[in-house]
Amino acid sequence: MIFLKRQLPLLITFVTGIVFAAQYYVPHPASEEMLTSVTKWLQIIGGFALILGVTSLFHIHAVKIRRKEPGWGYSFVLYAGMLGTIVIGLWGNGKEVTNGTMTAFGWIYNFMMVPLQGTMFAILAFFIASAAYRSFRARSREAAVLLAAAIIVMTGRVPLGEYLIPLSGDLTQWILNVLNASVRRAILIGISLGAVALSLKIIFGIERSYLGGGKE
Amino acid sequence: MSFAERMLQIDRRIIFLVIGLCTLIPLFYPVGLAIKVGPEVRGVYNYIESLPEGSVFLLSLDFDPASKPELYPQAVALLRHAFKKNLRVIGMTLWLPGTGMANEVITRVAEEMGKEAGKDYVFLGWSPGGSSVIINMGQDLYKAFPTDYNNQPTKDLAVLKDVKTLRDVSYVVSLAAGSTGIESWYVFGKDKYKFELGGGCTGVIAPGLYPLLRSGQINGLIGGLRGAAEYEVLIGQKGRAVAGMDAQSATHVAIIILVMLCNTFYLMLRKGQRRAGQA
Amino acid sequence: MPFDILFGAWVATGLTLFIFTFLYKDNPLFKLAEHLYVGVSVGYTIVKAYDTVVIRLIYEPMVKQGDWSLLIPLGIGSLMLARYVPKATWLSRIAFAFIVGVGSGLAIPRVISSFILKQVEDTVRPLVSIVGGSPSFTFSLLDPASNLNAVILLVGVVSVLFYFFFSIEHHGPVRIAAHTGIIFLMIAFGAAFGYTVMARMSLLIGRLTDLIEYAEPRYGRASLWLIAATVALLAAWSVKQRRQPAPPTE
Repeated sequence: MIFLKRQLPLLITFVTGIVFAAQYYVPHPASEEMLTSVTKWLQIIGGFALILGVTSLFHIHAVKIRRKEPGWGYSFVLYAGMLGTIVIGLWGNGKEVTNGTMTAFGWIYNFMMVPLQGTMFAILAFFIASAAYRSFRARSREAAVLLAAAIIVMTGRVPLGEYLIPLSGDLTQWILNVLNASVRRAILIGISLGAVALSLKIIFGIERSYLGGGKE
Repeated sequence: MSFAERMLQIDRRIIFLVIGLCTLIPLFYPVGLAIKVGPEVRGVYNYIESLPEGSVFLLSLDFDPASKPELYPQAVALLRHAFKKNLRVIGMTLWLPGTGMANEVITRVAEEMGKEAGKDYVFLGWSPGGSSVIINMGQDLYKAFPTDYNNQPTKDLAVLKDVKTLRDVSYVVSLAAGSTGIESWYVFGKDKYKFELGGGCTGVIAPGLYPLLRSGQINGLIGGLRGAAEYEVLIGQKGRAVAGMDAQSATHVAIIILVMLCNTFYLMLRKGQRRAGQA
Repeated sequence: MPFDILFGAWVATGLTLFIFTFLYKDNPLFKLAEHLYVGVSVGYTIVKAYDTVVIRLIYEPMVKQGDWSLLIPLGIGSLMLARYVPKATWLSRIAFAFIVGVGSGLAIPRVISSFILKQVEDTVRPLVSIVGGSPSFTFSLLDPASNLNAVILLVGVVSVLFYFFFSIEHHGPVRIAAHTGIIFLMIAFGAAFGYTVMARMSLLIGRLTDLIEYAEPRYGRASLWLIAATVALLAAWSVKQRRQPAPPTE
């Protein structure tokens, strides 16, 4: 039983990891067929992962409602929104539009979800402006460099800035294409090396946190 | 409390009001300043322009409603261009919350350009798995999407005739709001299946994509609302992006002024503190 | 104007304004809209996942086309759900092991090829060009492919990598290299901030453009009426808050 619980998952990770890393270099039809099938499987398994993601949310708010914790009424709104959307969505076969006509599910999407999500992120515009005013100060030479680069890019990426200071557009291009690109490239190389190292650690069973807790 | 200190601690709602007004006023009274087109956006435009009629163009709308103001105008401009060039258009998304929006934009622009579903364009919809969807499409497009968004078998669609894998696609453009987008399309798609790749993205992720642009891994990049405005200028059909550019200018200038004021007050405060320290 | 569109415009405007009330302070209108947003989004996700995965990816290929091999991912996916059965939690490890193993295997060669080799290749370009048999050096800053820019790019990449990777004490030339890396980083962060401001402002422009559209007579001037109603509700809530007795202090 210990083999099934402990060694088998590590063995599966090791074998699948090695096989699919090697597959990249073996363009044999059988190898390609295997890649086709398994990536198809991953699509389906990805759907189950989504279910896992949302169930914890179900649980948290169900507990809030059951215990009538402060703000439980909002959890009730959340549940009502969710169940209402599910019922209407399944009734409309999960389609926002059928035969060129908007369904009730499409209505919820277009007039509730889209504006709500859009506005949630739009209010960040106000907070970024406030944060810029409060904390964007040239406290050191490095901070002054950051400040100058930000001002140049903000100027050079809008028509008014380019009109007032014609050089700002070209300067912004240079900053983005050369200075910014070099830093982003170094970060990309660094992150990629880290990702490859982590993947190798996972394949060889050194990194096991993805297996989570639970009884052995 | 000194003047500088008072100014540095003003109610943040005053700043909110300034930003709100700077956005609203230009939307009501637009000036229409000229928009210069950069080489990044021109890269995407020129490639679509060079494609012969009937070439397969795949537009992956990898964003959700949170990024709609930036990426929706890009999608409209790109689709108008592709339909005008009589390309065969395949639409899809790797982002579940963006499915309805992606379907809406493709259908709307296709109707506007007099195109027919299944013959001139198809919307494949969303599929879970991100990178594995791309690989699966590279291996067998009909297997990755057995049916389109309207449950029509993809094998029977005229628009997908002879498009068995991503190798048969002439140009892919991913409009991305995160890493499941342009980067994924390169790593799991172009790297092996060798199609040409372009990108459109939100302003937040744009600077991070310049290394791919420089190395030629993507042949163009439409960055944020400004990028969309540049594309609208190139196709000669001004839309929401161009209309928003004056407000964009005003808010940027407002923030630059706020930052300068903040630093002026900060320097005044520091000077005052130094003087007090010497006394 | 069809009723569903008109009603939709009023609902969208109302919910947008409820979220904007957060700019005044956290309040019940915002919380209502916030929770509704989460609920609707989760509901949408579940419906789409059901329609795509269960119907389009499993039911139709399996039942209509007889592709029974799909029972394998169905089984692996079901194992993931064993996480909720205390005595069978360990079964979910098998599913995670498969996903993580395949994912790692697929990623390693592709990431090396795309993000390491290709990026290094473009960094180590010839620093001097050969034109007509003799070496030449182009100084144009505006041309990203000029020799000067190639040198700057190389210095930037190396110094930033140096700053991140070498944890030895920064003295002498090491200090200069690391400090150069910091300056490059600051410029990139500044550019990122500038672009982030641009992105956030674009989102606000998008929402306000919608509100302006919904203020038109064809939508019954929804924005104007609902701004008045939202401000009134917010004012009433504010007054009620002020009238409530303050909590006793120790």
